[in-house]
Amino acid sequence: MNVGSPLRTFMLPKVVSPLLPNGLKVHAVLKPELPLVSIHLIFPYGAEADPPGKAGLSDLAAEMLTLGTQKRPASQLAAEVDGLGATLSAHAGWDATSLHISGLSEDWEKLMELLLEIHTRPAFPLAEFKQLKQRRIAALVQQKDESQVIADERFQEILYQGTPYDHPVYGNLDTLPTLSGEEVEEFYHSRFPPEECFLVVVGDFQVETCCRWIETHFPSVPRRREAQAGEFSPVSPSGIKTILIDRPDLTQSQIRLGHMGIPHAHPDYLAFEVMNYVLGAGGFSSRLMQKVRSERGYTYGIRASLEGRKKPGPFIISTFTPTQTTFPCVQEILAVEKSFIAQGATDQERTEAINFLTGSYPMRFETLSQIAQKIIQAEVNGLGLEYLSAYPERVSAITLEAMARSAREHLYPEEMLVVIAGRAGKFQRQFEQLGAVEIRE
Amino acid sequence: MHLLIGEAQALPIVSYQVHFAAGSRFERPGITGITHLFEHMMFKGTKELGPEEFSRIIQANGGTLNAFTTTDNTSYYENLPADKLELAVRLEADRLQNLQITPESLEPEREVVRSERKLRSVNTPFGLLIEQLYALAYEQHPYRWPVIGWDHDLKNLTWEDCLEYYRTYYAPNNAVVVIVGNVSADAAWKTVDKFYGPIPSQPHPRQIITPEKPQRGEKRAVFKKVSQVAAFFSSFHIPQISHPDLFPLQILCGALSAGRSSRFFEKWEKPGKAVEAHAEMGHPPFLSMDPGLLQIYAIASPSVSLATLEQEIWEEVENLRQEPLSGEELSKVKKQVRSYFLRSLETFFFQGLLAGLYQLRAGDFRLLYNVLPGYESVTAEDVLRVAQKYLRPENRTVVSLQPVSHSEHEDLGELE
Repeated sequence: MNVGSPLRTFMLPKVVSPLLPNGLKVHAVLKPELPLVSIHLIFPYGAEADPPGKAGLSDLAAEMLTLGTQKRPASQLAAEVDGLGATLSAHAGWDATSLHISGLSEDWEKLMELLLEIHTRPAFPLAEFKQLKQRRIAALVQQKDESQVIADERFQEILYQGTPYDHPVYGNLDTLPTLSGEEVEEFYHSRFPPEECFLVVVGDFQVETCCRWIETHFPSVPRRREAQAGEFSPVSPSGIKTILIDRPDLTQSQIRLGHMGIPHAHPDYLAFEVMNYVLGAGGFSSRLMQKVRSERGYTYGIRASLEGRKKPGPFIISTFTPTQTTFPCVQEILAVEKSFIAQGATDQERTEAINFLTGSYPMRFETLSQIAQKIIQAEVNGLGLEYLSAYPERVSAITLEAMARSAREHLYPEEMLVVIAGRAGKFQRQFEQLGAVEIRE
Repeated sequence: MHLLIGEAQALPIVSYQVHFAAGSRFERPGITGITHLFEHMMFKGTKELGPEEFSRIIQANGGTLNAFTTTDNTSYYENLPADKLELAVRLEADRLQNLQITPESLEPEREVVRSERKLRSVNTPFGLLIEQLYALAYEQHPYRWPVIGWDHDLKNLTWEDCLEYYRTYYAPNNAVVVIVGNVSADAAWKTVDKFYGPIPSQPHPRQIITPEKPQRGEKRAVFKKVSQVAAFFSSFHIPQISHPDLFPLQILCGALSAGRSSRFFEKWEKPGKAVEAHAEMGHPPFLSMDPGLLQIYAIASPSVSLATLEQEIWEEVENLRQEPLSGEELSKVKKQVRSYFLRSLETFFFQGLLAGLYQLRAGDFRLLYNVLPGYESVTAEDVLRVAQKYLRPENRTVVSLQPVSHSEHEDLGELE
């Protein structure tokens, strides 16, 4: 796929996607500049599959895979991974769980063996589970001191109340202590079925040799079925609702405003992306940054983002400001968004947004992990791999009208959820002008 | 002016970087933070460009850009389509000679930087603790104040201070320019010459950097604030970027805390005694120009005594000073650092940083080629020797975080 002028020709790295005779789907990308390889085994379920009251189960089950197999105890596995200079991790995200190992090309076969072993022969040792749970609980206690994380977490919990996205991926202090080792093991067997996983291999390796190895060693995949996510019935908010998380020790407030956005595969997603570059994702080119930072000096940074998920991801405007400017800052943000919806972007802003998104596109394929993540996202969110090569052309075709329509139809300045972590007593009264205010610890 | 060009064809992009020998080590008490505040002012426009227009133009041409300030350098960079190199060169050369800043443009940026200080130091769990660690470990050398500056100084910096800073440090002869990407070296050289050639050199800034005296005994402090956990952050003085002892010291840090088979993970993190326990000294090229610090820190789990945790960690450090690493542990850590270094080379941007910062901080970009052989040549005896030499209790500074109630926190005064 060529983009722009001949000088700026960009060939998307070639993705070879064989469906192996054993039924496993593989996406392989050869990138020979450095002697490195990155391997990802992806399951199409993530933290949205946590049963009610069991927040954190998927992520815990994933990490347990790395803590011992039927062949090797956790300490031996860790020593082998470190001895290869490799990194091994397993995490649940939204809509997918990833087992990832990366290291030097010279060790590709050993890396594959280790990944296969944790995938097919996990041991779920109870002693490891107890320690893991203890580590995670301690980390969550410490995390209470991180005001940015608290603001992000609370925002999403409240926004997605009643939907499968209503909890942090890694669980919370209410659910984690109640989860048992047996539950985790059972969950793994029911929720990590081999027939739905796929592999992504990127780096400096022999594609054919590697695919043959995978075919010989990975278990055959009996059948494919549609991935099932939990029920998703978004709750529509009414009016602006403010939640103040009282943190009297903070001198600066963490601010999050927003609402549910559209799914990544929604036909308006690209128009929204171009529109939002102008509103709040375009750094110093964005309206929010110009007004709230450059003109008012309220903050060091402000950004509006729509997270691309399989189901509606969050649209969030994030910033921070000293306690005394908290309310004026939020007022300014709302005013910028409303005036933007009313007036729309200019032709120059549209051109600049498109030039940025298409011109910087090759940089999103620079590292092995970036390439793998792009492929995984396209697969998991139902975009298809052709989306990756068609992206620049499709973005270039977005019109001013399409941008204006996406702003009118998918931005809701009157229906915002506002979450602020800071000294609630200093600005509670002011926020009552906007609508209902609730204070939480 | 030093110009370094690396040709690389993997992608049709280029990283353009300008590194100035201007960091917080060149500041003096009363104007701490000016280096970083001035970095912000470099985006405020020139005779031809309005405020923030620099960023808008680069992005509108498919580029990303930013800048960062450290103790030793201020760096500006644009990563953009390779055929747009001239744009970046022209705009960087323009703001090097034609910056237009006014007292009015300083005011909002001063507040932005004070907000950034609150974000990074004041309202983070350990930011102020680390500031105190540096202020205690260094008594005379300028590394004792934070790059972002003290809040009182940020409030008092003037427009005249900024202009003086610009005149003193922003000159071609005080800069290293780096280009890495899909360009021809000859053409890139000509482009840089075209735009920077006419800019005159300035007298070299007068450098008065007071060196730190060897530490002659452990230093300790306590920092009290609202916190869910207790923690300690400690440091040991180690040599500067160009010193060969940094290779065995890096291996030593790896043995202590790199990966899940490391000593710290197995002894404290895995059994849940510490939320985090780590030994670090920065990775190439982020090693300091003057003698730096190797830090060891641990965040205690809620039920664990900090004093016991700290004591146990010093016992482990003492083991390193008594017993050489086994052959197996040494070769494991060597492979880890090799792999880490290779992964860092994945982007043109980072390749540029390596060359630019080795040139600026150590005086020779070619030192980057010593990194892998340097790690490879380390022996168990080297690690034992540097552990004995640098990880002495007399060379140690420790600051502990002691959690207090909200009312006690308030009684101790406002954080800033």
